[in-house]
Amino acid sequence: MEDDDLDSEISTIRAEIRTLQHRRRILSSSILASRPLQRLATKAHPQSPPSAQSQHQQQTQQWAEISPLLQSSSAHARTNHHRIGFSTTTFPFKDPSPTADTPNLLGVRIDIGLRDGTYTKPYYILLRTGTNREGKKEVSVHRHTVPAVVDVGGLERGYLPRSKVPTTTVDGEEVEAEAEAQLKPWKYKPKKQDLKGFVREVRKQLVVWHLRCDAVRYLREKLGVVRRGVDDDAAGFEEDEEGGWERDILGAAAGVGEETRIAKNDLGIVSLGPTALEAVYVRLEWEDGRVGRFKISSTGVVERAVVLGDNGRDKEMEDVITGGDGRVETLFDRLRKHGLSEREEGGDRSEHGDGGEGSEQGYGEDGSDHGDMGDESIL
Amino acid sequence: MARPKSIRAPTTASLPSNLRLPSSTPSLVKSFGKLTRQALLDLAFQWLDDRNVQSFPPYLQENEDQKEDEDEGLSPYPAERTINDVRNAYQELQLRKGGKREVIDRILEGDWRHGITLRQLAMVDLRYIDDHPASLRWTALELARIGAQQYPPDSSADMTACLPRLHASTFLNSLQQQIAPLVKAHYYLGRSTSLPLTFLRIFVTNSPYQHPRQAADSLTDASRVIYIAFPDSCPFIYTSIASTTGSKASTTATPHPVATDPRSLQRLVRDAIPKALSLPHQRYTLKATSLTAKSLQALLALRGPGRSNQSNGAFSIFADAALEGSPLDPRPSNTVSPEEHMNQQFHQQKTTEPSEPTDSTDEKKLSKRPNPHTDPREDPHVSKKRSLAVQSRFGTSGSLSSAPLDRLDVRLLDPPTPTSNPASRQTPTQTQTQTTPSLSLTFTGTDIISGIRKLAELGVVDAKRMPSWMTGEEAVSVAVVRQGSRVVKDSG
Repeated sequence: MEDDDLDSEISTIRAEIRTLQHRRRILSSSILASRPLQRLATKAHPQSPPSAQSQHQQQTQQWAEISPLLQSSSAHARTNHHRIGFSTTTFPFKDPSPTADTPNLLGVRIDIGLRDGTYTKPYYILLRTGTNREGKKEVSVHRHTVPAVVDVGGLERGYLPRSKVPTTTVDGEEVEAEAEAQLKPWKYKPKKQDLKGFVREVRKQLVVWHLRCDAVRYLREKLGVVRRGVDDDAAGFEEDEEGGWERDILGAAAGVGEETRIAKNDLGIVSLGPTALEAVYVRLEWEDGRVGRFKISSTGVVERAVVLGDNGRDKEMEDVITGGDGRVETLFDRLRKHGLSEREEGGDRSEHGDGGEGSEQGYGEDGSDHGDMGDESIL
Repeated sequence: MARPKSIRAPTTASLPSNLRLPSSTPSLVKSFGKLTRQALLDLAFQWLDDRNVQSFPPYLQENEDQKEDEDEGLSPYPAERTINDVRNAYQELQLRKGGKREVIDRILEGDWRHGITLRQLAMVDLRYIDDHPASLRWTALELARIGAQQYPPDSSADMTACLPRLHASTFLNSLQQQIAPLVKAHYYLGRSTSLPLTFLRIFVTNSPYQHPRQAADSLTDASRVIYIAFPDSCPFIYTSIASTTGSKASTTATPHPVATDPRSLQRLVRDAIPKALSLPHQRYTLKATSLTAKSLQALLALRGPGRSNQSNGAFSIFADAALEGSPLDPRPSNTVSPEEHMNQQFHQQKTTEPSEPTDSTDEKKLSKRPNPHTDPREDPHVSKKRSLAVQSRFGTSGSLSSAPLDRLDVRLLDPPTPTSNPASRQTPTQTQTQTTPSLSLTFTGTDIISGIRKLAELGVVDAKRMPSWMTGEEAVSVAVVRQGSRVVKDSG
């Protein structure tokens, strides 16, 4: 018994030590990269004349000692500033394979900020550069880490068309193909490659995807998410109330595949979630059995909505969902307003004091990606 | 009671889910026996759930009253009065320790003595797959759009146009329409409990009748079952059908114009899937992707919705983002370990096996062979260099992230010349030379890529000089290699 206690104590202390060490590392590198220190170092470094003062000499020596660290952290900070500022950066990469025909690759890194102020794992596209038959430079996608939600292959075909190279091995066929190329040059005429356009489009689709996911997460958080096994006792669900638990495909905080459900709310919504990973369509379910589905456009507007009840379609609710300014984030405001007006119509004057939506903030307003959404014309 | 005495006429409807197999069928015991006791109990509770009990009614006393002629008293499990009583009986079994046989007996001879429905059988099978993800060999196929539109026609096109959206019942309807005239089938769709997959279990028969008169054993025949798994949000499907798309001329050249063996029935189903997924002006076809593996995890990693489809081997550092941190991280990237990079910002990844040594057969064979290079206490300088080389070649694959391939077939088209074949190239596997000057290598084991990584760490394989297919970069299980790089045939 005592051993167990000691063991758990030791493990908690170890965990604390780890977090503290982690914090120390973060802080020390922050200090190293901080501007006052960097300025001091640049001031101290160039003027290193042999001065008589021993104290000064000692100081310069100290600066010299930590200068590699300072330099690396300042370089790192600069890179990070680029990544934050431009969101798409490039870097060279060497394919370690000994048989690669083009070992020097051009890497593109795309950083996307999320609603909660963090960044996603960076997305990478590694491009192979080669020359086509006319000696012009051509790029093609070698490897990438973009999920299947964004069709990189299709975009590559569109933006980075490669000149058709007769790739037949048999000599006769190649000659034939070459002859054809001379006869019909338009068939083999390379279309212009648009690398910037390609990267822009890939990034845009990634950003839009993340914004959609963020919007759905935001809506779910507004309603309150209850995680199974973690905080389900507090929410007051009955033990035998098995239905309603759904796997969270977006994995809001703790992990994909965790079973969650929507907390009880005044809107009577029992389930809200994306139908698939790309989060274009969102499924809604109400207490009274109505089922709805709406589509989020790439500008964050509810484009279409269908609500089905027991007596067919609920057109009124559909209008409410797509009405107003149409933004996804204000969906619940519209629903509440609708519920309120309905209640007033029915003569029910019961107070409805849940209007605390003052702190609401659109998901695109705090991130650097807002410009992307604004630039796009409404589709 | 499985067969009503109505008129039998051939129809094109699917086999009904409530078609009951007699519980006395011996193969049922085998199918149920695959599951653990707990899994069986879980299933029983699921069948007795309020929402499901209509579909799986247990045998109650009222059923008994309807037919008096049966010999009472003989059954060891007297029929319960209400459904709650049945539930209590299983609760009791849950609390008690015991073998799974008593649960099976209780199900087959007690509460479902009037027969096990096809749906129950399908649930048993899917539960088994959930519990044993490596029980089948899965082949990944790519859904490709026929006549893909040109980009960028206009950016207003549906963003998810690359993925066919499927609505389960609509898809099943159209699949059934496609294959109904030829194959009678039973369909069951189920969601995997642990992986982001939806399973479709199709059971095919060759009888056109709604209530087939064949022996009940043929309705439990595992070779007549096809599994199709749909991973979430990616243009791939996985099937348990062994044959590849290209091999139309199967070895069993059936003389009959209408082949009714399970294999050709399976082929009919497989051909129908892309058609069922297609919409007007949006037709799909299935393309082989040369990846077959037992582990669904590996398929999801290599042909799944995630980041690692197109970056493996040396490029897995990008897929796992093990190279650099987020732009908000003040620490210089080279001072942070890859593990920390992988785990810091996102929820702790379930790295189930961080350092588990995979005992692939390669290694077992290897350990018998005395090798001068395998001394672990070597010059530390050399091993440091080597580990760096291994790191750069393999990235995180085979160690931090794993997509276990159980088989890797490679055909080398380069003629083996004695000069370019140093000892390091000799992979300790079964090698078979063919009459043509090409070499076929077959690796088998639990995790090939991490096995090769181990070999490289030990210095058996030269990490710097080995071709990239050995690092799993190509993400295939079958490859044809010329001069170190994979040859891709256009025909697919």
